[in-house]
Amino acid sequence: MSLVVFVVVAFTSAGLALGLRARPMATASLGLVGLVATVLAAVAIDPAQAVVVGHSGLATTSYLRIFLILGSLVGLGLTVAGLAAGTRRDAAAVTLAILGASGLTLGLVDPRAAVLVATAGGLFGVLVTLVPTDGRAGATIGIRETRAVVVAGALAIAATAWFGRDLSQLAAQPVVFGLAYLAFAIAVAIRFGAIPFHLWAARLTDVVPETSLPILMALAPASLAIVALAWTDASVAPLLVDLDPARAIVLAIAIASIVLASVAAFVQDDLEQVLGYSIVGDAGVVILALATLDPEAWAPTRTWILVFIVARSSFAAWTAGIRAGFWTGRVEDLRGWARRSPVLSVAFALVVIASVGFPGLVSFEARTSIVELALDGPMATLVLLGTLAPLAYYGRLLWIGLARPDRILEPIDAWRPRISPPDVTAMRRWLRTTWNANRAFSTASVALLLGVLAVATSAGAFEAPAAAAGLPPSLSIPSEDVAPVASGDLPEPQESSAP
Amino acid sequence: MNPALVGVALAVVVGAVVAGSARNARSAILGLVVTMVAAPVLAEPTPAPLALAARLVGAVLAGYLLWIATRGDRLQTQGSLVGWPTEAFLAIAAAVVGFGSHGLGAPTDGPPLAAAAGFALAVLPVVTGRDILRIGLGLCLLLGGALLVRVSLGGTPDALEELMTAGLVATLGGAVAILAVAARTDGRPGFELSSTTTRRSSHGANAHPRGPR
Repeated sequence: MSLVVFVVVAFTSAGLALGLRARPMATASLGLVGLVATVLAAVAIDPAQAVVVGHSGLATTSYLRIFLILGSLVGLGLTVAGLAAGTRRDAAAVTLAILGASGLTLGLVDPRAAVLVATAGGLFGVLVTLVPTDGRAGATIGIRETRAVVVAGALAIAATAWFGRDLSQLAAQPVVFGLAYLAFAIAVAIRFGAIPFHLWAARLTDVVPETSLPILMALAPASLAIVALAWTDASVAPLLVDLDPARAIVLAIAIASIVLASVAAFVQDDLEQVLGYSIVGDAGVVILALATLDPEAWAPTRTWILVFIVARSSFAAWTAGIRAGFWTGRVEDLRGWARRSPVLSVAFALVVIASVGFPGLVSFEARTSIVELALDGPMATLVLLGTLAPLAYYGRLLWIGLARPDRILEPIDAWRPRISPPDVTAMRRWLRTTWNANRAFSTASVALLLGVLAVATSAGAFEAPAAAAGLPPSLSIPSEDVAPVASGDLPEPQESSAP
Repeated sequence: MNPALVGVALAVVVGAVVAGSARNARSAILGLVVTMVAAPVLAEPTPAPLALAARLVGAVLAGYLLWIATRGDRLQTQGSLVGWPTEAFLAIAAAVVGFGSHGLGAPTDGPPLAAAAGFALAVLPVVTGRDILRIGLGLCLLLGGALLVRVSLGGTPDALEELMTAGLVATLGGAVAILAVAARTDGRPGFELSSTTTRRSSHGANAHPRGPR
């Protein structure tokens, strides 16, 4: 089955890259090869396959395929950007492992199994929290991340188990339904670092390379959110019980994340903190979708999740480009960045278009639908305006970028590629010199490419909206492993001998 | 009630109390391994042999990785915040609650003893110590508790779910072990949390390095 191939490629590459971690360049090269292989494996996924294992199994969908293609592409782009701008030796392996876990999570038919893999996927991230110069501080942040992932996993396991049985003889009060729904929604909120569960995520931005942040804070939790959405639509939404108290709590978390994360991003002085809070803010829209309890939110939410992952990744690549080009991540020190790097300026414009959007753009319409399904009246208008709050921190960055530079570190044409004539007698040295001379340009170029990908996803390219409207994985798809049984081979009906 | 299951449930809870309260790091890990090895058997019917084998391999692998991470001369951890007798009583109280509220309002496919043990495991991390290893062990107990509650509600998981569970248990053990090793790289013997937060330098610390760190 094509999904199994993807998962095997991702986990094998991750394992090999980790095995070679004592040799940083070898592990980086192997990671890059593995990420290229995952892109190819994701493209090769057949979106209508199923494999039965016991009473459960794995199934592929068009949405799963697009999710993994986009995830692998941004993983590859961010890894290249990280190599140019500075990253951890395990970043590529972590990206591969999270991609493998995401593929498995989205392919598993049973949500009780899917939440287990989504939890394991979150745990791989601890590897990039380890700081080479201060292991204890990195481990402290790592164990807090682990705590968030495991607590979220425990909540999701309990919630899916409570619903995953015959409830026809139920004697419980509706409050128990509300608690199960609330547990899963809070699990998703914890994984995204939504406000008020954001402290671990805020500390994460202090140690994790910017190019790994979207993988840990957006891609890995997104697979759990998709499972939660499918589970909510199938198990909770059809119930005729009053879930308003639990729903109100989820709404409060979502609105707080959308609004307060944008405020936090606006006041932060480090680009990585701005990036981290921007991820939290956009994740608030996903949590808002969990509060709709309306199957109508299924397609727009899954579309938004794709845009969310790609747009945040392109913003991360832009952040890495700024660091590589200007040697700083402090916002106040970036005066004139937009005047000095046309490539980063275009990339920034693409990031803003992809993440904020405008009426008519698929991502904008998806976000508007989610808000209108979750809320009514003036509150919906206010929250809709709140989703445009990222314009404030983007505006601040642009304002700083257009200001007159207060210090000159690099020549005015430093953003351009610098390629000296190749030395055929020492190609390796020439390659190394060229790579080192073009780190800033390489990172900016990756940011530009990811920006284009983000705008394309926002505009509904790759048939993403149609795939997002498709059904969740199901074993009812004709399986490649289950051959039709000839009617002559079926056992003859026998008369019952029961009294 | 199946007496063998009662014995297994007792082993799970006793192992968890040891894991939560022992000051010696390896004693705590031994208690955790007992819990993780016994927990998959606490189901009716017991899992298929292959699925059970996967769970046992996952549990032993997690324990082994933690064992490696605690190499050293009688490495100490913070132990329990309240002492083992209190932890034991707390676990018993939680087990009684779990047993009594089995099913949470609806008939179930799993044994009530799994609910009792699951609740006992889930409550212990609340009072466990606060260093990197103890938090990690507490998280292993919490995960074990959630998995037991899942068995008590939904019955014995199928083979695929058991395989995923084994992978998750081993991954968690590995993650905690890596963090425990990293915590000791500064030369200090224990697993205490860092009192300082590493902050990324704003001026070029990440820019243009020689290679991945």
